[in-house]
Amino acid sequence: MSNIIEVKDLCKTYVVNKKQNNVLRNVSFSIAEGEMVAVMGPSGSGKSTLLYTVSGMDKMTAGEVSFDGKKLSSLSANDMADIRLDEMGFIFQQMYMMKNLTILDNIILPAVKSNKSNESRKQIEKRGRALMNKLGIEETADNDINEVSGGQLQRACICRSMINKPKVIFADEPTGALNRTASDEVMDEIVKLNQEGATIMLVTHDVKVAAKCTRVMYIVDGNIKGEHVLGKIGNNNELRGRERDLSNWLMEMGW
Amino acid sequence: MFLRILKKDLKRKKTMNVILLLFVILATMFAASSMNNMITIYGGIDYFFDKAGMADYVFIIENSNGDAAQKAEDVLTDSESVTGVNRENIVFINSNNLKDEDGNKYCDFEGIGIITGVSDAKLNYYDRNDEIITEIPEGHFYAGGEFRTSSDVHIGDTIILELKGTTLELTLDGYIKDALLGTPLMGNPRLLMSDNDVSKLLANDDIRNKHDGAIFYVSSDDVKALQRDTIGLSGVVFGFDVSTLRLTYMIEMLTAGLMMVVSICLILISFTMLSFTIKFTMTEDFREIGVMKAVGIKNRPIRGLYLIKYLCISVVGAVIGYILAIPFGKLLLKNASESMLLGNDDQVLIGILSAVGVVLVILGFCYFCTRRIKKMSPIDAVRNGETGERYNRRSILRLTKSKLGSNAFMAANDVASKPGQYVSMTVTFVACLILITMLANAANTLMSDKLLYLIGTTESDVYYDSTDLIMDAMGSDDEDAFENIMTDIEKTLADNGMPGKVHAELQFSLPVEFGDERMTVLMQQSKATHASDYVYYEGTAPEYPNEVAFTPQILDSLGAEIGDTVIIEIGGEKNEYIITASFVAMNQLGRLGRLHEDVPTIDNEAGSAFAFQIDFDDDPSDKVIAERIEKLKEIFGSDKVYTGAEYVDVCTNSASALSSVKDLVLVIALVISALITILMERSFISKETTEIALMKAIGFKTRSICAQHTLRFAIVLLISSVIASLLCIPVTKLVCDRIFAVMGAVAGIDYDIRPVEVFVVYPLILAAVVIPAAFLTSLYMRTINSESMGNIE
Repeated sequence: MSNIIEVKDLCKTYVVNKKQNNVLRNVSFSIAEGEMVAVMGPSGSGKSTLLYTVSGMDKMTAGEVSFDGKKLSSLSANDMADIRLDEMGFIFQQMYMMKNLTILDNIILPAVKSNKSNESRKQIEKRGRALMNKLGIEETADNDINEVSGGQLQRACICRSMINKPKVIFADEPTGALNRTASDEVMDEIVKLNQEGATIMLVTHDVKVAAKCTRVMYIVDGNIKGEHVLGKIGNNNELRGRERDLSNWLMEMGW
Repeated sequence: MFLRILKKDLKRKKTMNVILLLFVILATMFAASSMNNMITIYGGIDYFFDKAGMADYVFIIENSNGDAAQKAEDVLTDSESVTGVNRENIVFINSNNLKDEDGNKYCDFEGIGIITGVSDAKLNYYDRNDEIITEIPEGHFYAGGEFRTSSDVHIGDTIILELKGTTLELTLDGYIKDALLGTPLMGNPRLLMSDNDVSKLLANDDIRNKHDGAIFYVSSDDVKALQRDTIGLSGVVFGFDVSTLRLTYMIEMLTAGLMMVVSICLILISFTMLSFTIKFTMTEDFREIGVMKAVGIKNRPIRGLYLIKYLCISVVGAVIGYILAIPFGKLLLKNASESMLLGNDDQVLIGILSAVGVVLVILGFCYFCTRRIKKMSPIDAVRNGETGERYNRRSILRLTKSKLGSNAFMAANDVASKPGQYVSMTVTFVACLILITMLANAANTLMSDKLLYLIGTTESDVYYDSTDLIMDAMGSDDEDAFENIMTDIEKTLADNGMPGKVHAELQFSLPVEFGDERMTVLMQQSKATHASDYVYYEGTAPEYPNEVAFTPQILDSLGAEIGDTVIIEIGGEKNEYIITASFVAMNQLGRLGRLHEDVPTIDNEAGSAFAFQIDFDDDPSDKVIAERIEKLKEIFGSDKVYTGAEYVDVCTNSASALSSVKDLVLVIALVISALITILMERSFISKETTEIALMKAIGFKTRSICAQHTLRFAIVLLISSVIASLLCIPVTKLVCDRIFAVMGAVAGIDYDIRPVEVFVVYPLILAAVVIPAAFLTSLYMRTINSESMGNIE
């Protein structure tokens, strides 16, 4: 498998009140196509910053990020927007959606905006409904965003992240605002996406979530302290063992 | 604790608080200036006349080789109805007496110019700074009336006054606000100069005998008795009471009246904007209100917090707005105050009351909005202002069913989903468009031939205005002089390949009696037209020579009605005439009568005449008429050859005034629309930061989101244009009919609506300001990045 993301000597520095805060310090790693990588670490370690910088949403201070062979630092804002629209999908911790659109309209909006395919509006709608059906929220299609539960809304966000068939999905604590049941349901869907070929990079605090990934990177003070390869999950029976294994490793890392 | 929360709130929500502050400033500025202007305009002429020291009745007497002025003074002094008389000695000139340094005619004015010495002045004459002019150095002068409106005249010009061999070199120091002769409608500009210069003129016997006269400012407690007592006075060129003099300011009052309409609209706009801003900012605060309730803070302190916040902002805004209201108010009244002293003695108090009013209104709005605090539960902290029981459906359009592109859809859906958010903007745009189009309709009507009937004439192809030819005919002993001039013009026309008929409206000053009332009335007649060709307000046109029509003003003065019989003396012979109709007129301040065409009058006894009206035999097109007018200008050696529309403009002298008001209102409307657009778009960006960041995160380009936001304004503008177009004609009729009624058109006006200009050009002009303003402001969203998704509250 070739690497879809390659990160080399990535640095990110914030200046707050004239004080320099080095959030990421010479971070280097790569993610291969079809991987599902979790980024873990204590609060303030730079997990979300790493995710947003690698996805091109935030600007890097130094270093290089290559996405599908393209160096992000050489892309204009418009080129970057096109990549985010067509080749990346995002799932945020808060279920951000456009307030004036229905759930279905929110999901299909990136596809309507995209020039990736010549699909008609009807075909896009059909695909949006199919995605909703797959994630079990088809009945909410015509609802406003404030008429559905948090779990349904997060699944809608997943549908939106998938609508343009992205190469990579970035997820920032996708289950952070959900209860356990909803969290499990959402994670099951993300795992399914990965199994269908999508590359996923997600940030999480939750061992149960991370245990479903193929690899876990542990970040402390802006540095990757260690990596733990879990491999593809076979069935849910393996999950307990993976969780135990991961927990032990995290303990070693100082979790 | 609360002060700390308040301080933090003011700092943290800086953008919205600054926007609110700006709206408060605008609202106070509009309210304070508009209230002051409305009061100023309402009592405008009374204030001016009072400050100038205007009397109850004014006579202008021409001596011309006699002692008419002295006799008039004797009659007035002896009259029991007179309580006081002030005499102002004057010298008469005409426009030919004034030359520029190169010897060319300096300023073209139709009537007689009047020279007054500054020490002899019996009125207070004000300069542009509203200071009374008490001293003028020798060799300098101030001018009023048409001097002020002439494009050839500039302060600092040096002119040569040549009169009967006496020459004075004079420098124009400025313009005067002259209560009696200040308005161009009077047609008699006054030159106020030093006593020494006037003495130099009066040292010339010819001037003293043939060009001098006097103005009498008469105080009377019985004006009707005064009119009776002074019927026999000779040399009277002007004799009117103060109520008639007021009418000479109708153009200024028209201008001021329109500014009053503008002021009302500005107040409406300002309060609509305030209402929007307060509701908008309060909605933003729902989450915090919920949190405060959740931690146990009671309703009253929460409400108090917001009231104090709005009080602080509104007091600061009101003070700044009050200060700005002073220059803004002056700007609004600039056009009207050029010839009038406008003001009121309570400006400061009214300004302060208006500012306090704005503060109270803001607090009232705030109190009203915060009523909801009582009903809100802590769940609102989570639901951002909406509980499960109070969900409002938001999405109106469906992307799946729409054929619009994503940007257009998002813009249209936003406007459709939250129409309340756009009401204030719609009100502003509609008000601005209606103001502009209403003024355009009025100005276009004044520059069209639709008002020909109001100047007492009929429609012709061309109007040739020649004071010289008319004066020649009037001064001739030849009874056929007038007819000969018209025959000569007809011959000239035929010789130049454009044969046609020529006629003119003549005006005769004739004594009219009804019961005990006796007065001199200017009677119009044209032997080439029929009395039935003219427009009458009431009754039927005079059909026989013994029938007559008068304006309502004359009927009122006579105490007569339609159906009564009056006695008119023509050529020394008194005959009875039945009043069959009344008609309205803007000329001669509406004091006119109309004789049947067969009444035997003698042309050269007419006191004055209108332009020569030319009707070509071949019924030419407008284009041909325009070409012929240019040719006739060369043939007659005069620029005063007009179409019907141009002649109305020349006669009413108001279209240009109205056009400048329209231009001023257009500029104000554009500035206000741009300002409101900027503030609204900035508010939207502030409120929609999350959504903008989300769109950027999922791949929308900044230009695409800017286009969405700009399109919203375009949609609102389109809706506003449609509403304004629907309201344009009824509002024009509603407002302008009342204004034209003051000018004499009491029966209403058939307006000259130019569809392209009114329904297309002005909305496009507004769009040309609003859309770039919206787009440029929307570029601010470049500062919102997709990474904001990670740290938005």
